[in-house]
Order: sequence, then structure tokens, then C-alpha cells
Amino acid sequence: MKPCTHLCALGLFPLLIAGCRDREITSYRVPKERDAPPAAASTAHADATAATPAAPSGGSGGAMADTAVATAGGANLTWVAPAHWQAKPGSAMRKGTYAVTGDGGAAAELAITAFPGDVGGDVANVNRWRGQIQLPPLPDAEATRSITRFDYNSLKIGFVEMAGTSGGQPTRITGAIVPYQGATWFFKFLGPDALVAKEKAAFLEFLKTIKPPTSTP
Amino acid sequence: MNATLRSLRDLFVSPQLSVVLLVLGMLLIFAATLDQVNLGIWAVQEKYFRSFVIYTRLGSVAVPVFPGGYTIGGLLLINLVAAHVYRFSFTARKAGIQLTHAGLILLLVGELLTGLWQEDYNLRLTEGETRNYAESYRDNELVVVDTTDAQFDDVVTIPERRLAGQAPLQHPKLPFRVVPKAYYPNSVLQARPADATHRPGGQVSLATTGLGERVLAAPQPITYRQDERNLPSAYVELVAADRSLGTYLVSTGLVMPQVFEYGGRQWKIALRVKRAYKPYALTLLKFTFDRYAGTEIPKNFSSRIRLKTPDGRDDREVLIYMNNPLRYAGLTFYQSGFERDERTTILQVVRNPSWLLPYIACALMTLGLIVQFCFHLVGFVGKRRPVAAIKTTPA
Repeated sequence: MKPCTHLCALGLFPLLIAGCRDREITSYRVPKERDAPPAAASTAHADATAATPAAPSGGSGGAMADTAVATAGGANLTWVAPAHWQAKPGSAMRKGTYAVTGDGGAAAELAITAFPGDVGGDVANVNRWRGQIQLPPLPDAEATRSITRFDYNSLKIGFVEMAGTSGGQPTRITGAIVPYQGATWFFKFLGPDALVAKEKAAFLEFLKTIKPPTSTP
Repeated sequence: MNATLRSLRDLFVSPQLSVVLLVLGMLLIFAATLDQVNLGIWAVQEKYFRSFVIYTRLGSVAVPVFPGGYTIGGLLLINLVAAHVYRFSFTARKAGIQLTHAGLILLLVGELLTGLWQEDYNLRLTEGETRNYAESYRDNELVVVDTTDAQFDDVVTIPERRLAGQAPLQHPKLPFRVVPKAYYPNSVLQARPADATHRPGGQVSLATTGLGERVLAAPQPITYRQDERNLPSAYVELVAADRSLGTYLVSTGLVMPQVFEYGGRQWKIALRVKRAYKPYALTLLKFTFDRYAGTEIPKNFSSRIRLKTPDGRDDREVLIYMNNPLRYAGLTFYQSGFERDERTTILQVVRNPSWLLPYIACALMTLGLIVQFCFHLVGFVGKRRPVAAIKTTPA
């Protein structure tokens, strides 16, 4: 082999290795994990098994080494949406978005967001949603009374329902406020009054599927 | 040497190739910097710098448009080495140039080795929890685990990117083939209509068994945000010699693995974040988040960890805090983050055996430039001295 061929081989060999890395099927043996009970597919419920889309990567992926920072939203809640809700691409502020269409092309949307802290507290949040559909704010005691409390999957869920107008059209919000690990999650189902009222049962069932994630064995 | 090889050698040796490659390199960096707005830092690195060719999509066709970082860097490396072998002479007067070029070669090699060898994982531990593996920030893997043994699990891992192909995947430890039927790099999971395989959005569920009978995956656009990760899903059929074991929906969104039985053995299948197992285990004893008295201003974060090897050679407590990482078995564990409950710590686990090379490369280049400058300076002063003497004579 000539020197220049040597040179080519020398230069290209590691590049070829680089091109093939991370493509191999591998195997290994590990001790069983004690804290990872497997669940049989035949007995596991769908609502016990799903995580949110585009889950935060742990918050530290872009963090500088040696710089301790709190994760963007902590661990994500998990849920399973009803089959007829159409998942939409997430946006910068959203943990999830679902579109629901009704008769005559009516369209409602479920927006799922999460923010650190209590975001002003339940009363402020309820009145913020009321303001979005042209309703006057409620006094503290009345706003608190308007929240129905559920305990699902170790989460304390505050459910509210309100009907007002938006753009002159009758509009309804069914929403849930879920405190979780120092953050507050908002599930706001907003749309035409009739459609959101019709979807209330599905929304309440959906709330039962919300749960904290568990570790993957 | 025949004419073809000679012309090839002349091409690799030529300084014109160096100039062309440097210009291409600058254009690559410029384009990558602009595209970082759309793709984020990790995707840009993969697309522009850790690739041989950059593709763009015209409709459904991927069209190559520019050489990638591996191609440009590799050719530059060959060009530099070839120039030294064939064109440059090793003389004392050229020592500076040689040193500078040696530094540049080392820099290119260092980047290549970093790309090949660097590990960057994270280890998330809640107080009292023990783990012997770290998890990737971005990569996922399909695992098929033989759980029959009471003490150990036999794990076969298939990289996520292999699921994108339709080719059957086989491994000697698996008595069946894994046939990817569909793959979504990002998806959402939804309840599957009970009476149909199709849903209103048009997505089709291919699953015939397991959790996929109740849940389906709907494809979503890939997210490039640094604080998010995609939720890949795939439908894979397990095909044994005698029969199909069914098509499973696997997804990183499915928290629990799915179990089945075949050939008298218990199996588990899951798509999960890629793991790197270690021959030792870490237990988080205590995470501490100190604040300045009377304020919420962070003062210190620390994780008290118990490090233990199975053979008992190491069993000790270590304290990891800012600027005081744990260095063990070639890995460095940094205090990187924590959960808001302040009971869960996140450690960044890094291995980069070639981390010194860029420093050595820069030192060599600096030394080379100084040497070269000194040679020129001495030569210049030597030439100037007689002229100065002439000028001073009349005075």
C-alpha cells in the first residue's frame, strides 16, 4: 500500500467508526432492580401508563456543570386523553394541547400549562379565567366555594366550571387546577358553551387519568 | 505510483484544498449558527458537525446540499498530515509552523475523539434510592429483557434510530426477531377507540397485543427545545420461528414495560431513555439546599452519596457539591440540578478521556506562533542592525 493510501485510510477509519457508533444492538446482564415492580400488560390500565408529550428532559440537560438549578417544571404529570380529542403540536408555553370539534364545526381546545409556585392562588386563578369569558370577579369566599375538590391518584385537583361570553358568543370553561411539586398545573377546556358542556363528562373522566409519573423499570 | 494515485496525493497535499476546506468550514459554522435558532444546540451539532453530509428535504426526498463537519474536518486532517509528509521539510527555521500545524492536527483529532468517546449522562436520585446506571439526556433505546432469572435480568438493547428502518432486527440472545412496523420520533398517546383501528385524526394503530390495544400513538412534530425531550413511539412486531407474538406499541410515554411469555421464559419490552450501567451503585443519603438566613437566595447545594461496589472494595460516603464533583472510575459526577421537592438530586455524569487534548493543542499552537514570531524577529533585527549603525555615524 502506498503512503497516500495509508493517509486516506488513517483519516477515514475513525470517521467510519464515528458513523457506525450508537447503532449496534448490545446485550448485558444486570442485577434485578428491587424498586421496580413490573406490571403485567394484561392487568395494567392505560391510564396508569402514559407520560406527557415532549416531557422536560430533566431540566439539567442544558445546565452548566457545577451550576445547580431547579428543574423547569419538576417531573411531569401523566394522563391519557379521550380517543376523540385531537392532539396538537405543543408550543413554548404548553405542556399539551388538544382540539375537540363538535357539531357544525364548533371547536374547543384543552390547554395544559404549568407554572412555578401557586400563581397567585386559587381565587386569583379562578377570577383570571372568569375575566377571559367576560365574567366579573368573585369575592374570595365565593370563588373558593366555586371550586370542586377531587383527590385522584394522590393529586388534589380543583375543578371549576363557568359560562360567559367571548366575542359575543356563549363560551364555557371547564378547568382544573392541580398543585404538584411546588408548581401549579392548569387544564383549561375553553370553547363554545354547548360543546364544552357536552364534553364535561369526558373532561371529568380525563381528570381521573392525571397522575404523577412513576419510574420506568 | 500510478497517475491516479499521484493526482490523488497532489490533491490532498495542495494548499488550495486547505483554503477551500477552511472556507467551507466557515460557511458551515455560519449556517449552523443561524440554524441554531430553529434547531437548538444539540440538533445543530448532530446535523452540521457530527455528520458526513448535510441533507435538506425537498418534499419527501432528502437531498445532500453540503459536506458535514466529519467530512470537512476529516479532509482537513488528511490535508494537513499529507502536507507535512510530502511538502514541508522539517527544519529548525520552520519549527514554529510545524508546531502550529501539530496543534491544529491535535485539535481536529481531539474533536473526533470527543465525539467518539465522550459520555454525558444524568443520574437522578431521590433520598434513599440506589441506582447503578445513569441515563442519557437525549437518546432512547428499545429493550427486550429476559426476566426469568430470580437474581438477574438479561437485557438486549436496540438503539432508537434502528427502529426508523423497517429491517428485522435480530440478536443471538433473542429467540425471536424484532420487526419495526412504524416509528414516530415524537408523539402523544391517546386512548384507542374500542371498536376501530382508525381514529378521527387519521392515525392508525398497528398494535395487536399489550397496552397498544387500549392506547395509540399519534405522531407530533419533533421538538428542538433544550428543556424538552421528544416522546418517541414505535410499533414493533415480535416474530418467532413458528409464529408472530404480536405487534406491540412501545413508547417512552408508557411508564411501565409490557410483559409476555415465550418459550417458557418471561420477557419484558419497553422503549426507555438510554442507560449506561456502572459496576457500582450510588445511594442518595441526603440532599441539602442551603439558603442564606432569612432569604430564599441559594447558598449551597449538596448531595451526600454512598458509593458501593459489589465486591466491597469501595463502600464509602462522599459529599458532592458545587465545584466539588466526585471523580470515580474515569467519570465525573457534578451537582447539576434538583427537583422542587428538594429530596431528589440530579447529577451530571461526564466522561471525556480526551478533555486535555484541546488545551495541549492550543498550547502547541501558541508555542509554535511564538517560536515563528521569534525567528522572524531575530532575523529582522539581524538585518536592521547594520542600517542603524550607518545612520548613527554622522551624529
